[in-house]
Amino acid sequence: MTTCPRCDSTKAEAVAKSPVQGAWTVYTCPVCFYTWRSTEADKFTEPSKYEPSFKVNQADIPNAIQVPTVPSRTNH
Amino acid sequence: MAYKDFRDFLDTLRKEGQLLTIEDEVMPEPDLGSAGRAINNVSDKSPALLFTNIHGYQNASVAMNVIGSWPNHALMMGLPKNTPVKEQFFEFARRWDNFPVPVKRMDSAPFQEVEINQDVNLFDILPLFRLNQYDGGFYIDKACVISRDPSDPDNFNKQNVGIYRIQVKGRDTLGIQPVPQHDIAVHLRMAEERGENLPVALAIGCEPVITTMAAAPIGYDQSEYEMAGAIQGEPYKVFTLPGTNLDVPWGAEFILEGEILAGVREFEGPFGEFTGHYSGGRSMPVIRIKRVYHRKNPIFEHLYIGMPWTETDYMVGVNTCVPMYQQLKDAFPNEIVAVNAMYTHGLVAIISTKKRYGGFAKAVGMRAMTTPHGLGYCKLVIVVDETVDPFNLPQVMWALSTKMHPAHDVIILPDMSVLPLDPGSNPAGISHKMILDATTPVAPETRGHYTQPLDAPLATEKWEKIFQDLLSNQ
Repeated sequence: MTTCPRCDSTKAEAVAKSPVQGAWTVYTCPVCFYTWRSTEADKFTEPSKYEPSFKVNQADIPNAIQVPTVPSRTNH
Repeated sequence: MAYKDFRDFLDTLRKEGQLLTIEDEVMPEPDLGSAGRAINNVSDKSPALLFTNIHGYQNASVAMNVIGSWPNHALMMGLPKNTPVKEQFFEFARRWDNFPVPVKRMDSAPFQEVEINQDVNLFDILPLFRLNQYDGGFYIDKACVISRDPSDPDNFNKQNVGIYRIQVKGRDTLGIQPVPQHDIAVHLRMAEERGENLPVALAIGCEPVITTMAAAPIGYDQSEYEMAGAIQGEPYKVFTLPGTNLDVPWGAEFILEGEILAGVREFEGPFGEFTGHYSGGRSMPVIRIKRVYHRKNPIFEHLYIGMPWTETDYMVGVNTCVPMYQQLKDAFPNEIVAVNAMYTHGLVAIISTKKRYGGFAKAVGMRAMTTPHGLGYCKLVIVVDETVDPFNLPQVMWALSTKMHPAHDVIILPDMSVLPLDPGSNPAGISHKMILDATTPVAPETRGHYTQPLDAPLATEKWEKIFQDLLSNQ
């Protein structure tokens, strides 16, 4: 488990390793779905350096606007 | 003539000097996204890009900016690469009238060379990367997404081929943005009302005509494949994915097969959009991928999107102008001359028209706002005389400079509909709209001093032709 640079969840995990061994690892966060590669600049990979205005508050995620909204079930 | 597949088109670009192959090693980030941005900063005749040496990958190829200039757009249509934009517009409109051209069905497809149907990991299969700095992840933004109408699944014409922004969110999961106005949102709504998943296929790395049609605002029951046949001048080749009723472009490099999960919404974004702003994070549908096909040594096609102009603006330029032109012609067949709705996908549009009487041009502007595309765009419509080329911005500026009177020719319509991605809309999806009438007043509107317009010297057109021929032979 790894800390997500964007929402600070500690549930991020590695999802891919480079075909050329040791070049990089890709991580995803199952909470805010941020994805990053280990070779990116630290402002995209380190929680303390991620741009504050693009940080995601975990509490806001359930309130995000639905596009499109889920329709009611109807009988066809 | 038609391009057999994506590789056939890349070969043509290479022969025409419109493909730049970069064999030096590049980093997935920030090099690929930066290069996609930079190529349109340095030239409006820019080549496509093919990267063949990406750090950490073995044998991965990434193509970008494939129709990201007017020369490449002309070659997409099989025209000489120096064809002026206005001529590309009229040729596109002429071919549009040949719709529909029935498809050609194929028994097998090159992408069947490799099939992955278990333990799908998209991060291993595709050379994915981040485009813009604060994109929420790695996106697929130039895939043709194919779906059927769940209430009428055997109706070929209601099968949709569209391009949507797609975030890769997990090994086998994607987020997709079906804006409610899009055809796939109609399919998804029907499926969700039934409590059913919506089967979809994503085709990545297609020849450019179907990509262009997938990005065009055509009618719900008009087939993008049959329109692609009209634009390329011969039947479009499709292949029905085994075990499904989804027809996909025969020549695709990759096919991702899966379902949009009924009733599921998950956090997605933000994503740098064609408005030059990030979209913000929203809750969007999720696709589960269960099977992937691809050619051997597949080429992954991607598209840079951001502040105009980028490849996006070339891709949705002419194919947005032409349907609006056709719809305006339906209303005013003897007056409409040309439509340029290429600015931020038509948030600004310029229409060239004849006038029947005073006030007519303003009515044309209002009609543009009530076309299907105009309902979400056309925040500003500039109307110019039939003698002004709407694709020639200096001419349009001249018309605004000399023909428009702010007391009479500025019409503001309050609280109209606009796409929610317009960062100026408030609330999102609502904006005032404006018509600027830059046509010459005609009776009963007799203001101004316009009786002595200046004509060009007599042989100007002859010399234009001479120069075009000389320049094209250089």
